[in-house]
Parts: sequence; C-alpha cells; structure tokens
Amino acid sequence: MSAALTGFQSSVLKPALDPVGLALEYYTFAVAQVGEPAMTSLLNAYRAIKTQPAQQIADTLLETSASSPSSQAQLAQSVVAMWYLGSWYVPGVVGGGGFAPPPLQVISAAAYTNGLVWRVMQSHPMGYSPFTFGYWSQAPAPLSSFGVNSGNGGGQ
Amino acid sequence: MSTPQYDVVIVGAGVSGNLIAKELGLAGKKVLILEAGLAVPDSREEYMENFYLALAKTPESPYPALAGRQGSKFNPVGELPDPASLPTPRATVLSLGKSPNISYLVQQEPFTELHPNDPNPQNPPADKGGNVRGLQFSSTFERNGGGTSWHWLGTSLRELENDIRMKTRYQHAEDWPVTYGELQELWALAEKEIGVAASTAQQEPLEVVGLVYPPGYQYPMQAIPMSMVDQAVSSAVAGLEVPGMLNEAGDGPAPGTQMYDVFVSATPQGRNSEPYDDRRVCAGNTNCIPICPIQAKWDPTVTLGKALDTDRVTVSYQSVAYNVEVNGKNATRVDYYEWSRDPNGNLTKVSKSVSGKIYVLACHAIENAKLLLLSNNWKGIANSSDQVGRNLMDHPLYLTWALAPQPIFGYRGPLATSGIESLRDGEFRKDRASFRMEIGNEGWNFSKGDPYTTTMDFIQGTNNANVNPPPGGSGQPVRLGGLNLVQQLNNIFTRQFRIGCMFDQSPLAENRVALDVDQATGKPNNVDGLGLPRPKVEYGLDPYTMEGFRMAAYVCSKVYERMGATEFTVNGVGGTGDFTYKGKNYHYYGAGHVVGTHRMGDNSKTSVVDASQRSHDVQNLWIVGSGSFPTVCTANPTLTLMALAFKSARSIIAALY
Repeated sequence: MSAALTGFQSSVLKPALDPVGLALEYYTFAVAQVGEPAMTSLLNAYRAIKTQPAQQIADTLLETSASSPSSQAQLAQSVVAMWYLGSWYVPGVVGGGGFAPPPLQVISAAAYTNGLVWRVMQSHPMGYSPFTFGYWSQAPAPLSSFGVNSGNGGGQ
Repeated sequence: MSTPQYDVVIVGAGVSGNLIAKELGLAGKKVLILEAGLAVPDSREEYMENFYLALAKTPESPYPALAGRQGSKFNPVGELPDPASLPTPRATVLSLGKSPNISYLVQQEPFTELHPNDPNPQNPPADKGGNVRGLQFSSTFERNGGGTSWHWLGTSLRELENDIRMKTRYQHAEDWPVTYGELQELWALAEKEIGVAASTAQQEPLEVVGLVYPPGYQYPMQAIPMSMVDQAVSSAVAGLEVPGMLNEAGDGPAPGTQMYDVFVSATPQGRNSEPYDDRRVCAGNTNCIPICPIQAKWDPTVTLGKALDTDRVTVSYQSVAYNVEVNGKNATRVDYYEWSRDPNGNLTKVSKSVSGKIYVLACHAIENAKLLLLSNNWKGIANSSDQVGRNLMDHPLYLTWALAPQPIFGYRGPLATSGIESLRDGEFRKDRASFRMEIGNEGWNFSKGDPYTTTMDFIQGTNNANVNPPPGGSGQPVRLGGLNLVQQLNNIFTRQFRIGCMFDQSPLAENRVALDVDQATGKPNNVDGLGLPRPKVEYGLDPYTMEGFRMAAYVCSKVYERMGATEFTVNGVGGTGDFTYKGKNYHYYGAGHVVGTHRMGDNSKTSVVDASQRSHDVQNLWIVGSGSFPTVCTANPTLTLMALAFKSARSIIAALY
C-alpha cells in the first residue's frame, strides 16, 4: 500500500534485507497514534483494490478527486507524509500562515535520514550526504534512479 | 595584593576567545577560559541526533540550552523554555518576537503578537526623520562551548577598502581605526587558521569594488566549485547593469545615477576543499547551518582543541561571569556563577572569583555589553564614552525566492557557494546602504520551511508555499499521491532557489542593548535562571538602510527577470521584522552578524576600545569580537573578527612582558 501511495518501489520502502526496518517502525507508530481499527480499515480498503494500477490505488485511497478527504483518506495522507518527511502529522491537521502544520514528532533519526522527499528532489537529506566533494557542480542522476516506482503494479 | 592566578582570564569559548587562548598558550602564557554554557561534547553525533529529531530545523536546533532535546524532561515537545528557568538562556529563532517568558532578549513585540486577532495588522509608523523604531532585533546566538560559530555559514569574505573608511570616503557612518594593509596581513592569518578555500584569480574581477590582495597572495586551499544554482544565475546576469540609486517610483534609475555591473563570484569559504588540519573534505551536506555533520567546515572547537593542546589553557564550563571588578584603571578579578543541575532538574549556583593580569571579554557582542553593564553593581564599567551596548547592528537580511524556468538542482552542496559582490561599493553609499547578495543552495528551505511546506501542500491540498495549484495551473489547490506526487514535487523542488541580501546598516546610538532593570527601583524586570538581569534591546532602521532594501528588491527582480524565473517573495505585515518604506512592505531576517556594541576607535570619548580591542578606560581589559566593529560593512564578519583577535593576542602578549 505504501508503495502505491508514495510512488516509490516497495524494495525502497521495505528491502528484502532491511537493516533500518522503517516499514515496521512506521506501522507500529501509526497504529499507536490512530488505533488498530482505523489502520485495519485503511489496509482493507487497499486490499480490495490492490490489483489496480498504482496511481489509481493512490488516487482512490487519498480521494484526490473528492472535494474534501474522509478521515480514512486523511490517515492515508499522514502515511504518505511519514514516508516522505519522517515525521508524524496528525491526520486532518493542515498548515496555515504560509507554513506546513507542525509535526507531532520526528519519528526517529533514521526516519529523518530516510525521508523520500530527498530522493524526489534528486538529492540527499540535509545533514546526511552520501555524495562526495564537488558533486553539486554537476547535474544529479535522473529521477528514475532514485527508487521511484515507474512501473504500474500495486506493490504491497 | 595577591598574585593573579592566571596570566589571562578569558570570558567565552567562541571564535575570539579560543583564538586568543591558543596564541597565548603558544606564547607560554597561563590562561583560563570561563565558558557560560555546556562543554563541547565528545562527539558531535549528540548534536546531530538533536538536529535530526528537532521539529523545526532552526539554527539553534542541535544545541542544548540545558533544555536538552525536544521531548526530554527539560524541554517538552511544543513548549519553549522560560528563560527565567535557564542558567544560559539565549536568543533563538523560535522565540523571536515573543514575550519575555519565552524570549531571552526583552524587546518590543510585533503587532501580530500583541494583537493576534486583529484582522488588519500594521507595521510601525516612521517618525519625522523617516526612521522606523520599535522593530525586532532578529539575530540569535548560542551560549555553549564553541559559541555561535558552531553554526556559522563558513563565508569568509574580506571587507572592502571603502567598508572601513565610510566616513572619509562617503561622509556616512564611521571609519575603522585600522589600515587596510594591516587587515590584509591579519586576514591571511585568519584564513590559514580557518582553512579558507578560494582562489585570488577568481576574485580578481572584484577589483571594481576595491577588493585587492597583496601581490602573490594565495589562499590555503583551492576554491569550492560553484553550484548548479550559481551557474544558472551567473550565466543569466551576464551583461546586466543596475543603477546606483532608484527614481522615486522605484522602477528605474534616478536621474544622473551611475550604472553598476552585476556579476556572480565564487565565495571564499571556511570549508575544506582538500584534507586540512586533520579534518575531512566537504561532502556537500547542505547543512552548514545548523551543523556540519563531518566538521569539514571550520568551527571554533577546532581552535579550542589547539589551545588545549598547548597545555597552558584551561576551560571552566558552566561558569557565567557576572562582574568584572575594577579598581581605578585596573580590572582585579572576575566573579562568576558555577552552575549545575541535579538529576531532578533543580538549578544550583556557586559564586566564585578568579584573577588574572589581563582580562578578555569574548562572549558575544550582546553578552559582552551585558557583562560590562552588569559589572560594578550594575552601574557599568569601561563606559566613560556611554557607547557600551549602543550602535547595535546586524546584517538585516532581505530574502527573495523564485522558481527557475528549468531544473537548477538546489538542496545540493554547501548552503551557499557564490554571491553577487559587485554591488558592495559605489558612490551610492553616500545615500543608501550597500549590500551583498548571497545565492542559496537550499531551495526554499530558509524561505518557506521546505521541503516540508510544499510537500504537505500537495499531500493535503493547501497552498502555504504558493505553488499549489502549480504554476501554470488554475483553480483550487490539488491533492496528489503516488507517482503524480513524486513528479509534481520534483518539478517544484529542482527549480527552487533564493537570494539573501545583507545590508551595511547605519550605526545608530539608539539601537542598543541595556539591562532590563527598572530605572526607578533599580530592580530587574526580567532575569535569567541565575537571577541576572536580561538584555533589553531597542532596534530600528533609518532611511539610509531602508533605501538599500528598496534597491535590493529591485536588483533581485532584475536577476529573476533575466533568468526567466518567477519570483514568489512574500513580505508580511505586522510580524517580527516587518516594516514599510516608501509605500512598500519589507521583511528582514537576522543574519547572526551582531556588531557594534563596544565599538573601537581612536577617540575614547566616542568609542569603547582601541584598535587592539583594548578598553580605553580599563588598561588591562580587552573586549573582543564583532562588538568592536564600528560598522557592519559588507562582508560576513567572522573572518574579520578573527583577524582582529590575532591583533589583540599580539597586543596582550606585548603587554604581559
């Protein structure tokens, strides 16, 4: 489900050999925040459509065409934000005054350094560069090399 | 009189204090540094962890104010600590514009803080002379081992020759009491200590603004490469000229004004382009502020380590100086509180004293002034000129931001690698503040709190960053997920960039640091956790400085126009750092370049220290740091304040013989 929601390959989110273990950490964290029933219901909604193309799954679960998202879609938003930004944003709490809503918590240091948003910008987490001196004077590798899910499968 | 315990007692383990300690230690002098804050940690991983977990990645976020990490016992999530509960409170970004139960600096709160529900916020009005008073001093600082320059950017520009002789050349502000030739020699020492990466050949075009090096001079290391963002700005502005002064409408040159070339220069930077001083090469973490994770950027702990290696230097941490005792023209001891917290969080303090032959105050422009004013039972010392605490300056920073027409790949490399330095000097300095323009490599991180703001906008369907709906789109903000979200965010983030303009603001006697003490009763209004009165700050801008803002906004718009970029700059009304000039709203940020509070000069009636940063009034007292700058000039101050510290160290060693 997270692969479809985020647009990233499931091998990025949950590698076969996973030394960081973010998928479990995030699942546990989210369940502790919203309770088992809410998360189960979101997962059930996903299971019902998991064979559809990934973008369609994301749009359905996030209700991107609806005028306002249901509480289940707001939970899906928080799941996306968690993967992208490594922080928990309380479902339904939106930003204002020109800035994002304050997150409840940065889930962990590893959550920060593994945020997907840095891949989206073809870069690295601020404060955690895997690159070497002078890389910034050249164009980065293409977006496709940052683990984006260019295929159409529903993932897991 | 008993024999002094030390040759020299230094207050503050930052840039100046550590450098002077090192030089004195190498000369065999016995030195004690009193540092108000916590010790330098064994590993910067501790600070990195603070940074990773901070909800807001502000400059102060990695550093403890004894508050500890957010979420810890002393710093609950979402709450800012009361400065009255802290032994070493400091000004922080998150506390700017807040009331004294949150803000360490006691100052005018902005309209939006005083009237949060007023639908029509106002900026402070200008007085008869066009000055805007009642503004917020927006620079922040640290109080810990190593000081604020843990999070300096690394920019190591030299001042221009006319920067230090403004009065003679342009009949404005003040001259410095040192010659350019002497500074050139001192800068070379500082560049070696820091390890500045730059190329004099690359800097040569800046001869047009009077930047010249002694023949044959070479920086210690090859230059840092220009970023993709720099390259995009640089090629776009080729051939661009802007006027020295604007017409009244602000849309073109004033009649008869000169035109000036705009071009981009690689910035000399205090970060390693090659292994230097046992430190690593810059890996482009894009995090110089708040913290370089690998110490590729020099910081004051590097020099502190060398000072300690002399075996002649001792540091006493958690030691807050609160009085310099003066007898006639001599300082005789420093009184300080040694503080600690027990496991329950209770603060305890023990009053101690220490003596030296010579005393050096090196604890930051605001803290130096505070300590001078606190001394002699809060009646002040070294202040026959009445200039202590006055002429408070910053580089008020005007930030503009834009989307380039094509990807230029920000969020990569050191935070800033180039700037427009070609407008730093000209005849216009008779009439308006000069400025340098820093090109940012961190997208809209500074401007809009990105990547957070834009990401949440596209997840939640809000428009806080003003790019949802995306440029070219129309109607309501969109909500996206999956690959659509990836592609939209990639499209925005890879095109974001910003320019920060920093002004040579006028020194004004009424911009000042005083003690927050009730004049009638003599009792403090607001104290820190040790019971010491806090700094009360008054700040405003004069028309000379604000005219600089007007020009900077114009130049930024011309640069963006040349690039085909779309500007998204927003200037608020009624908030911290908001003001109105000639009918247009502006916002400034603090640059952390705190200057002027114990200015140097040849005349003891109008200045606090001499060219060696030695007090005019107290013969064995040196008051050092950027507080000694008579003007803030057009270069970021760290290089020059270290250069002056070299000069002070020499004069102290000479005085000890």
